[in-house]
Amino acid sequence: MELHINGKTYSVQSEGDTPLLWVIRDELGLTGTKYGCGIAQCGACSVLVDGEVMRSCVTPVEGVKGRNITTIEGVEEDPIGQRVVAAWVEHQVPQCGYCQSGQVMAATSLLKQTPQPSEAQIAASMTNLCRCGTYNAISAAVQDLAGGGPSAAAEKARMQAATAANGRGMRS
Amino acid sequence: MSKRRYRKILAIVGAALAVVIAATTWFVNRKPGSPFDGVSASTSPSKALIERGRYVARLADCVACHSTPHGKPFAGGLEMSTPLGSIYTTNITPDKATGIGGYSLADFARALRHGVAGDGHRLYPAMPFPSYAKLDDADVRALYAYFMHAVRPQRQPDRKSDIAWPMNMRWPLALWSAVFTDGGTYQRNAAPAGVDATLWNRGAYIVQGPGHCGSCHTPRGAVMNEKAYDGSSRQYLAGALLDGWYAPSLRGDVNIGLGRWSQADIVRFLREGRNAHAVVYGSMTDAYNNSTQFMSDADLKAIAVYLKSLPGNPKQDGPPWQYQDTPNPALGSGAHPQAAGARLYLAKCGFCHGRDGRGQGTWIPPLAGSVASMSRHDASAINITLNGSTHIVAQGVPDGYRMPAFRHQLSDRDVAEVLSFIRTSWGNRGGSVKPQDVKKLRQRTNPASSDVIILQMR
Repeated sequence: MELHINGKTYSVQSEGDTPLLWVIRDELGLTGTKYGCGIAQCGACSVLVDGEVMRSCVTPVEGVKGRNITTIEGVEEDPIGQRVVAAWVEHQVPQCGYCQSGQVMAATSLLKQTPQPSEAQIAASMTNLCRCGTYNAISAAVQDLAGGGPSAAAEKARMQAATAANGRGMRS
Repeated sequence: MSKRRYRKILAIVGAALAVVIAATTWFVNRKPGSPFDGVSASTSPSKALIERGRYVARLADCVACHSTPHGKPFAGGLEMSTPLGSIYTTNITPDKATGIGGYSLADFARALRHGVAGDGHRLYPAMPFPSYAKLDDADVRALYAYFMHAVRPQRQPDRKSDIAWPMNMRWPLALWSAVFTDGGTYQRNAAPAGVDATLWNRGAYIVQGPGHCGSCHTPRGAVMNEKAYDGSSRQYLAGALLDGWYAPSLRGDVNIGLGRWSQADIVRFLREGRNAHAVVYGSMTDAYNNSTQFMSDADLKAIAVYLKSLPGNPKQDGPPWQYQDTPNPALGSGAHPQAAGARLYLAKCGFCHGRDGRGQGTWIPPLAGSVASMSRHDASAINITLNGSTHIVAQGVPDGYRMPAFRHQLSDRDVAEVLSFIRTSWGNRGGSVKPQDVKKLRQRTNPASSDVIILQMR
């Protein structure tokens, strides 16, 4: 079976019913995509298939052959993905980081379909779970990308102040 | 009326009553005859006979009820509810003291086909003896050989039922049996025109007899009797509500039955537990895990041939379902629906079942056009959403895709909203779901509640 992942073509041996997640991680060694719950509830395993977010733990690999798969390893090849990663860095979103590759994929998918989502649309689409509770930072980063809202601006100001403070601290 | 005449009438009525009582007493206490009376079974049956018996035990799925999840096979103890209280399945291992080790072939046949235990007491019809009555002599003999010589004896006394006196008297069950079972082994019938008669009859035999499909799929009457035991009635396998699940019609109904399934679809479903229309869940998981996957390809084909010969009932079933993108908004890429049900669908269901409701191949079932989305009974839809599915174990391998339980994530209103969305989208006509119905089933499927559903008759 041939899979198109991050612009490359891979020939895989896994059986058709194997979840895409395990083909990506175990057979191809692309371990940026994480295993969380295995039942499509948390989103840690999110990847893009033809630009749309899918939860790879519940996606039989047979169903995605011939389609364009993007994982966290390849997300910066995509201009929107690149902006999302930059915003994540700017807002210092991750804490432990385990869920964040999935969060980045979900945000990239959302912005590809809807370049300027409203706050409600962001809340409805960003359904991935985060045990550290980085939801406010995620929301601010996505709103920033969507053209900014009051909370994005406030978060940005807070981050800039913090960075500036850190910078001063480090120089002294 | 003169005193004398009055006495005379009293005497006649009294005598008649005495006769009736005597006849009833005799009737309810007699042991029905068996073709095996006086026949002694071989003490060293052939390996082939035992293996045939093992296969018949698979067809009949004896182990599903006569075992508990962590108990020994066939040692009994599974709780089953009746309208009067719980009963417990019995030890059918060949242990002499606590099982059926002392049963002769004739005793065994009587229990199996007539619901009369070795000591003469009547069995509750939770034991599907009205169906097993159709087993032919060769299969009964093989089953006996298997139980006596290949099942490991277990010393485990049967648990007494929770039913109190006088309702725990067993003799009235003889009258139940007389009224509601038609008795007699399966008789070969003429197959419908153009259908292979041998296959069709084999299929009818398995479905009506050992397979006892009607125990769940045929609607039941006022005293728990199945309304029909063969295809001569339209009620047979017409779908039934049982144990908090809706067991679909197995007839040609296009919406709530097998009308859209090919013979190959039926074979695949019973052999692999899944096909492009559905994946087994609810009580059918037990039937698949313990029984149907072990059936031979020829028998599965026969079952498919027989089931496909049962006509649907368009009056009850309605016009055939067709996929529609409307009236609910298409959930295509970039759609941000406002309705709570649609939003919940995208967050909780769409990743597996698809934004279009069509599922993923044979792995994750479609919700568009499924029985749970089309039936006016919403029990299965609510139950699977609250409690998820149990593992389907095919050839010893648990399957990788499983419906999670949402009972701790979604409120009654959430469940009602998302199911109402599903049951009115994509051409589905099941209709909306009420929060109070979710609440009721949530309570009745909570093992910690005092009102939990215990599986009923199978």
